[in-house]
Amino acid sequence: MSQGGYRRPHRWAWWMERPGYMRFMIRELTSFFMAGYLVVFLVTLSRVGAGDAAFAEWVGALSRPGWVAAHVVALLAAVWHAITFFGAVPQAMPIFLGEKRLSAPIAMIVMGYGPWLTVSAVVVWWMLR
Amino acid sequence: MSSSGSDGRRGGRRARHSGEAFWWALFSAGGVMAALFVPAFVVVTGVLLPAGDPAVAAARAEAFGQAVGWWPVKIALLGVIVLSLFHCAHRIRHTLMDFGLRRYSGLLKVPCYGGALAASLWAALVLRGNTGLV
Amino acid sequence: MSKERASASAGRVGSGEQVAGSPVATDERTITLELFRYHPETDAEPRFQSYEVPYNEDWVVLDAINWIKDHVDGTVTHRWSCRMGVCGSCGMMVNGEPVLTCAAFLKSYFPFAVRVEPLVNFPVERDLVVSMDGFMDKLEAVKPYMIRDDVNDTSGGEFRQSPAELAKYKQFSMCINCMLCYAACPVVGHEEGFLGPAALALGHRYNKDSRDHGRSERMDVMLSDEAMWGCTFVGECSVVCPKHVDPAGAIQQAKAMGAQEYFKAFVMPKGAGA
Ligand code: SF4
Ligand code: FES
Repeated sequence: MSQGGYRRPHRWAWWMERPGYMRFMIRELTSFFMAGYLVVFLVTLSRVGAGDAAFAEWVGALSRPGWVAAHVVALLAAVWHAITFFGAVPQAMPIFLGEKRLSAPIAMIVMGYGPWLTVSAVVVWWMLR
Repeated sequence: MSSSGSDGRRGGRRARHSGEAFWWALFSAGGVMAALFVPAFVVVTGVLLPAGDPAVAAARAEAFGQAVGWWPVKIALLGVIVLSLFHCAHRIRHTLMDFGLRRYSGLLKVPCYGGALAASLWAALVLRGNTGLV
Repeated sequence: MSKERASASAGRVGSGEQVAGSPVATDERTITLELFRYHPETDAEPRFQSYEVPYNEDWVVLDAINWIKDHVDGTVTHRWSCRMGVCGSCGMMVNGEPVLTCAAFLKSYFPFAVRVEPLVNFPVERDLVVSMDGFMDKLEAVKPYMIRDDVNDTSGGEFRQSPAELAKYKQFSMCINCMLCYAACPVVGHEEGFLGPAALALGHRYNKDSRDHGRSERMDVMLSDEAMWGCTFVGECSVVCPKHVDPAGAIQQAKAMGAQEYFKAFVMPKGAGA
């Protein structure tokens, strides 16, 4: 298989070339923030077991502006992850009713946003009730 | 004769060697878990727990402690956390590959999946009630 | 505005005289085309060459390139055939965007210059023509044909299929092999072994065909580490596809199918089930 001819140089800054690439990059970066959050979440869970005083101290630390800002960023990342993930559902998991394909918005609601809202409500209720 | 096709296309199976399929499956399942649960977790532990006046915060802290102390919840939490960790690990690895480290795709498994594994073990210990690590 | 309309109608009158490949100019205005030039026997490096082309609202970029070749510079080399978006041979980068040049109207760029380059992520053979060899190999790799266990046995008549079964893969069968998706995919540019959007969508098309028995064979190819798992669902392949094939969706579906096959292999070791 001859693959002769002129090869254009690698484009290292490829992700800046199209708006779609930038959106892709932002979506991928959510994983860094979510990974960071999960570690902090584990610290929180471990403080629960360390006794009321230790937990209260940790929660007090979490209310400092730096931690609040970090959590706002984490929240944006997690929400963006959810939106992009459910946005991909109609493409990745098409559902056919006979010859007809379930429309994208309905697929997203049924397999994405609906369960998401339900789970979120249950989690918040259960954890703080 | 009939099962091998007319031109022997069925012969000479190429060896499948895709650990990638395994990691992708974890990534995919973890993506669902992270999308469903992590935003709510952040709201609870990052916003609602620390917010409000001390009395409210204390009540919430107690409720949180009880809510995550029940063993079925612990098991569910462990599942969600582990899968989400591997989702992040896989995506971080592939992001690094897309940004120029593709030739180290094998090597990158060590810090990425290794990190997720370490954090998963830690999560298991934490949820077992072993808090000595932090 | 009225001048625009006048020139548009002049264009329509003029278009009656057009001959395929040799469109006739009908407007005094001009537009600049900057063509990527590379002749391997004389050029060590590619260069850009500018041409003033008569501006006609009805023209597409391909018309302008044909006009240059016919009236100014016969050495310009490019591919085209159908001029109606079905043959898939006229794909190029126009102002950085992979498009079918027969479907890209000058109108949408005028009065600015139009920069035309060969599709990125492919080796350039000459001017605007890229090498398709690697692409053809990738298409072939996914065995894009019906594989039957009973290929010699047609005694039962034709292999029937219901409209519902057809619907499952029809979208993926609309590909015209224009390779725009390969030019839009960063992974194609970085990973030699990645089969790429069109080939994977085509493989998936056959895997989803109720008449086909070749899924396991194709999966032998698609499950290798480089073939499809390098896809990170950037998704731009589906954005640029002129036929709405949605190769990005096909690849995610193929991955899910591949992961199933992978886990099935644990339960049912290779050979036992085939
Ligand atoms: S999938 Fe679309 S963009 Fe890609 S080669 Fe086929 S028709 Fe062209
Ligand atoms: S010339 Fe056939 S698709 Fe453009």
